[in-house]
Amino acid sequence: MTPDSELARFDVVERLVHWSTAIMMLILIVTGAILYLPALALHVGHRGLVENIHVITGLCLLGPLALGLAGPWRKRLVSDLRRLDRWRPSDFDWFRTATRRSGLARDKFNGGQKIEAAFLGAAMVAALVTGVIMRFAPSSWITWATGATLVHDALFFGIVVAVVAHVAFAVSKPEQLFSMFNGRISRSWAKGHAEAWLTELEAPKVEIPSASEAKGGLAGPAARSAP
Amino acid sequence: MLGILGLAGIGIVAGKKIDGALGGVSSAVSNAIGVPLPGDDEFRYYTVTNGYPVVPADTYKLTVDGMVNQPLRLSLADLRSMKRTSLVHQFQCVTGWVVPDVHWEGVRLSDVLERAGVTSEASALRFFSADGLYTESLTLTQAHLPDVLVADKMLGTNVTTDHGGPVRLYVAPMYGYKSIKWLNRIEVTNKVVDGYWEDEGYPADAWIGGSAPVSVVP
Repeated sequence: MTPDSELARFDVVERLVHWSTAIMMLILIVTGAILYLPALALHVGHRGLVENIHVITGLCLLGPLALGLAGPWRKRLVSDLRRLDRWRPSDFDWFRTATRRSGLARDKFNGGQKIEAAFLGAAMVAALVTGVIMRFAPSSWITWATGATLVHDALFFGIVVAVVAHVAFAVSKPEQLFSMFNGRISRSWAKGHAEAWLTELEAPKVEIPSASEAKGGLAGPAARSAP
Repeated sequence: MLGILGLAGIGIVAGKKIDGALGGVSSAVSNAIGVPLPGDDEFRYYTVTNGYPVVPADTYKLTVDGMVNQPLRLSLADLRSMKRTSLVHQFQCVTGWVVPDVHWEGVRLSDVLERAGVTSEASALRFFSADGLYTESLTLTQAHLPDVLVADKMLGTNVTTDHGGPVRLYVAPMYGYKSIKWLNRIEVTNKVVDGYWEDEGYPADAWIGGSAPVSVVP
């Protein structure tokens, strides 16, 4: 392999799941802010409509992930989710200053990304459960609805912080951001940022995603649906 | 991930107590930064139209018509010349948020109805908002509860526009959506007509906790 060759980082399924979930998260944050913040609630109004958009989008939020996991196309997605859920000693380097790092070869995802994934994954499920209680629980469950509202409101702040951090990191690292559009990333990036992953990819017994898969990804539906 | 889910679970089950415990602190911070916080004791402001109506207090009229002997058009001065009732009670939203110990003052709905003279075939009321869209209902029996007010004061002052002023309804034993804001007309009818949130699936008999309570006013 030449130093400038490209590696397949995300497949079409992963990118479709990412961008459809991202668009729904954006709708949820905007409608959620309108429902929650008094200044917006009073000036936008139309509470019934905004509430219905928020509730329907919320009910659909985990749909893309579920579809992504529902068939034989799930292989890459499952492998990356497992990777996000598995902590290695090198992951903690991300939280350390340069002089205190272990220097171990790094995984495909860093510690920050793993924290982000764990938080947002849990927050989405928790927001779904509390949201369903708030909207659909019988009116005699008001004590639980009060608790659900407390949690849902707290999640609003947590999710906004997590999403803003995610977008800020993405925008500040154009090559990684772009790989969520075209699925590919340079070998030199992997060499510098995810050497353990690169080693896995290039080890003889590990299945290396073919170049045709990466090209298919570029022309595939994900590239068209990306905003 | 499990940690967050665990916290959420505790939050749902114990949230009522946490909400109560957080109330004062959360409200103080919320007031300081101007943003609602989880567990605070602040109102959320709901409006179902484009913005909200601004109703001038000096030309305000409350119309009472339908199945009555004497249709009324009451000004704010008329309401203030009638027998006044005040009470301190929570405002509980059906979605869960609650503002404890809110001061309410106005005229009992039953006193307004008595002044208009409800005819014998009447059995329900329909309420209209100056926003032109929101409506609500009560049965005549519910309307005669002593803690149902046509309120022109709350929180120690005239009802502000964002709270539904100059005049709103306050139905103490029911969820907040029954306490219609910018109230400008009460129609006495012979059947309950579903209002705005009833059309979205919420119950017309909106008793807090799900069943008819003991009245908060003796």
